[in-house]
Amino acid sequence: MLARSLLRVPNRAIARQSLGKSTRASSTAAGAESASSPFHLTLTASLATAAAAGSAAWYYHLYGQEAFASTPAEEGLHPTQYPWVHQRFNKTFDHAALRRGFQVYREVCASCHSLTRVPWRSFVGVMHTVDEMKAMAEENEYDTEPNNEGDIEKRPGKLSDYIPAPYKNDEAARAANAGALPPDLSLIVKGRHGGCDYIFNLLTGYPDEAPAGAAVAEGMNFNPYFPGTGIAMGRVLFDGVVEYEDGTPATTSQMAKDVVEFLNWAAEPEMDDRKKMGVKAIAVLSGLFAISVWVKRYKWAPIKSRKIVYSPPIGPRR
Amino acid sequence: MGFTDFFTDVVSSLGFAEAQAEAPAADVETSSTPQDEPAEKTEEATEDSESAEETAEETPAEESSEEAPEEEEAAEEEEEEEEEEEEEDEPEDIKPKLEEDCANSAKCAPYKHHYDECVERVTRQEEEGDDFKGVKEDCVEEFFHLTHCATACAAPKLWRELK
Repeated sequence: MLARSLLRVPNRAIARQSLGKSTRASSTAAGAESASSPFHLTLTASLATAAAAGSAAWYYHLYGQEAFASTPAEEGLHPTQYPWVHQRFNKTFDHAALRRGFQVYREVCASCHSLTRVPWRSFVGVMHTVDEMKAMAEENEYDTEPNNEGDIEKRPGKLSDYIPAPYKNDEAARAANAGALPPDLSLIVKGRHGGCDYIFNLLTGYPDEAPAGAAVAEGMNFNPYFPGTGIAMGRVLFDGVVEYEDGTPATTSQMAKDVVEFLNWAAEPEMDDRKKMGVKAIAVLSGLFAISVWVKRYKWAPIKSRKIVYSPPIGPRR
Repeated sequence: MGFTDFFTDVVSSLGFAEAQAEAPAADVETSSTPQDEPAEKTEEATEDSESAEETAEETPAEESSEEAPEEEEAAEEEEEEEEEEEEEDEPEDIKPKLEEDCANSAKCAPYKHHYDECVERVTRQEEEGDDFKGVKEDCVEEFFHLTHCATACAAPKLWRELK
């Protein structure tokens, strides 16, 4: 306000002077005097520019910089990117790898982690046959509907049942794992930053020993990729833990790769179909576009090739 | 229906293999394109290792003790070959070896240098124990940088080896 009131006084004086001198400035042609802009205009523009730049700088000073309060260890090591074949837009899942990955899940992960959103039927035709899946489902017991006496009995599983969880509920899972809850793996690939890369790195990234000086709490394991670096899950994938039925050497990284691809399938079972639909859409839409170009040419042909001729009326001869 | 068949033919010719609900026959597995390459590669690799093994077996015997660096190289080669052979009987992961090689390469040398220096510093602190008057530190950050460099370097190599 102070600056403005100080400015105003000379401004008015200058304005009055200029008004008095050239009264018909708007209508007359620009003379030599009006070619150079008056001082007060230059000053106002300069101050406005300075104020704009200053307020922007002040805003950046106050709110612009993001605060990084966490240390790198709390943030966790960002996962290394691997060239996953199934993530390319024109590639499907490797279904042999899915089958191996499910074997790894059943033999290693399933003792702690549930996969509750995946039913047995979804494997049929994707990586197993109907008979194989029926046999697997029948190995598990499920509750029946209440019978005539109102009792709930047990029955062998069917294809329409969902994969049973290893624990009855989250509390039981925590109690069995020293307070740590093993997350459900159905959507884990979608549910973690880094997706496939994160899980692969997590599974294979346990170092032989924690780096010097790193604090590892009791009952925890050091894993650089887990935010906070202390993870309750120990390393589970060791060379040769699983024996693959197709003879693939079951190294740690091979098993991790397979199980991650399987978990990606569990989270996105529609991926293969989605990509197929994409190619279909490209085929159909490009066909329609081509047809529309030809039709446009056809419809416009008479318009483009017409000739407008003005033949003046033949008046009576003068 | 010839017109719609044309589109299904086009789509099927684009290489989307149909999912077979039948029991997986060996022929069906090999016919799909993405699996062919790794299988061939492993075969080639084993062949190479066998042929290289013969030469490697001869070299250490001929070399004298003066040619120490060359001998070391030969020994490393032998180790690699052994690993590749063991994969058939008892699988051994190639990932730690690849990453160690990457960590020792020139690309990750600065990170390795910093990490080693940090480990040395911190272990000295721990030895001093309560006498140490300074900021307690750990090597997690240095470890992150080194690990990130090593895994990023080893990632494509590892994927070439895996099925």
